[in-house]
Amino acid sequence: MAELHAEAARAYIGILWWVAEPMLYMLAFYAAFGLGLRGGGEQAVFFLLCGLVPWKWFTSSVQNGAGSIQSNSGLIQQVYLPKVILPLISIFTNTLKFVVVLTLLMLIVSVFGHGPDVTWLSLPVVIVVELLLIVACGSLAASILPIFPDLKLVVDNGLMVLMFVSGVFFDISRLPPQAQAVLRYNPLIPILEGFRAPLLRHEWPDWQALFWVAVASIAMYAVAIRILITYDRRYIKLMIA
Amino acid sequence: MTSEPLIELNNVGVCYARRSGFMRSSKFWALHDVTFQLHHAETLGVIGHNGAGKSTLLRLLAGILSPDRGEIVMRATRVSLQSLQVGFVHYMSGRENAILSGIMLGMRRRTVLEKIDEIRDFAELGDFFDEPVRSYSSGMRARLGFAVAFQADPDVILIDEVLGVGDAGFRQKSAAAMRAKIASDKTVVVVTHSVETVQELCDRVIWIDHGITRAVGNTKEVLTEYQKSLPRRLAG
Repeated sequence: MAELHAEAARAYIGILWWVAEPMLYMLAFYAAFGLGLRGGGEQAVFFLLCGLVPWKWFTSSVQNGAGSIQSNSGLIQQVYLPKVILPLISIFTNTLKFVVVLTLLMLIVSVFGHGPDVTWLSLPVVIVVELLLIVACGSLAASILPIFPDLKLVVDNGLMVLMFVSGVFFDISRLPPQAQAVLRYNPLIPILEGFRAPLLRHEWPDWQALFWVAVASIAMYAVAIRILITYDRRYIKLMIA
Repeated sequence: MTSEPLIELNNVGVCYARRSGFMRSSKFWALHDVTFQLHHAETLGVIGHNGAGKSTLLRLLAGILSPDRGEIVMRATRVSLQSLQVGFVHYMSGRENAILSGIMLGMRRRTVLEKIDEIRDFAELGDFFDEPVRSYSSGMRARLGFAVAFQADPDVILIDEVLGVGDAGFRQKSAAAMRAKIASDKTVVVVTHSVETVQELCDRVIWIDHGITRAVGNTKEVLTEYQKSLPRRLAG
């Protein structure tokens, strides 16, 4: 809460940035890919937006969550806090921003594209699955980064690579079958598809794939919690030394 | 001394891993072997030269670190650590930070809000109270931290050199407030290398040297011993 409040108070236009920042981000990508490569078209814009909004949520949350123990080092040297909650705080902030932007996206799609229909009811499920994945990745990265600070580069570059292999800009189903066979294991693909299917085509998402993403995320989060609890009172020492 | 000690340390040691190259690290024991008991309602001074392990000891008592050997028996539920690098959020105002740290120290939001004026008055911040903390001097920060901890009323207050930070006036006031706390049976641990502070405030003193408890006992005795070691250190 403090983080949110602080961030809103820091800038004069405060909350406006929450909407403006992802809008600018989307605009930049739209200019680069929507207009440049694909020659535009309404459908292309919606395709891009439906990928960018959940992607931005994922990447910002994981990045902030990953650094959450280090960025709060001043605080945790002062009072004892269970380290498990630190990545969750960063993720919570980013999730609120995502909700604002998603609402906007849904409005845009309703006005300019097809209106809502029954398949939109699957969105909450997709959102929960993505949240699970974010919590798992963010917490796991947060639990390891203080021990091996050099891995920050791996996380940052890994996220960049992930952006290009998750079908944010292009349709995975148009790739050669060999490439698709490898990319099946990327958990973000069914999630991004889970947003696009109902919003763009009024179809249901791939339930089975989403189920496995959820299971894998829960398992990963269990590992992260274990590390965070084991190192609960040791992270501080790594920061001082 | 009749009741059980609030915090009990038995042969406690803490080691830090010092990175000495890729995937290699050497161990450094900041505390080797520390044994003492902290009793309810006493004011305990911890004295020792720089690098003796005083700050590590405070973090240990605050529950921020866990010992690597020995054991700590903790019967206090709320311990608050006051040190120079207080965990304030720099771009938030003193008021917001006071509320935040009050909550961190286990106060209810409502209670903090009720006591916010007292905190402001005690910290002597005046109009600065609503300015961002980044514009504060280090003395002001220390005062704010001390004021909050005071209102939060934890079981044990740990103080790291704070008394030496404020100006003379505030120092007197906080010393007086400390004495009031002592009278109202609060448990306080003061870490310092100022013999005067210890003399003025503490019932009992622990002298730590290179991570080992050299002496525990009443203020006068330990201080005499400590002072005897000082010239030798200066000479050698």
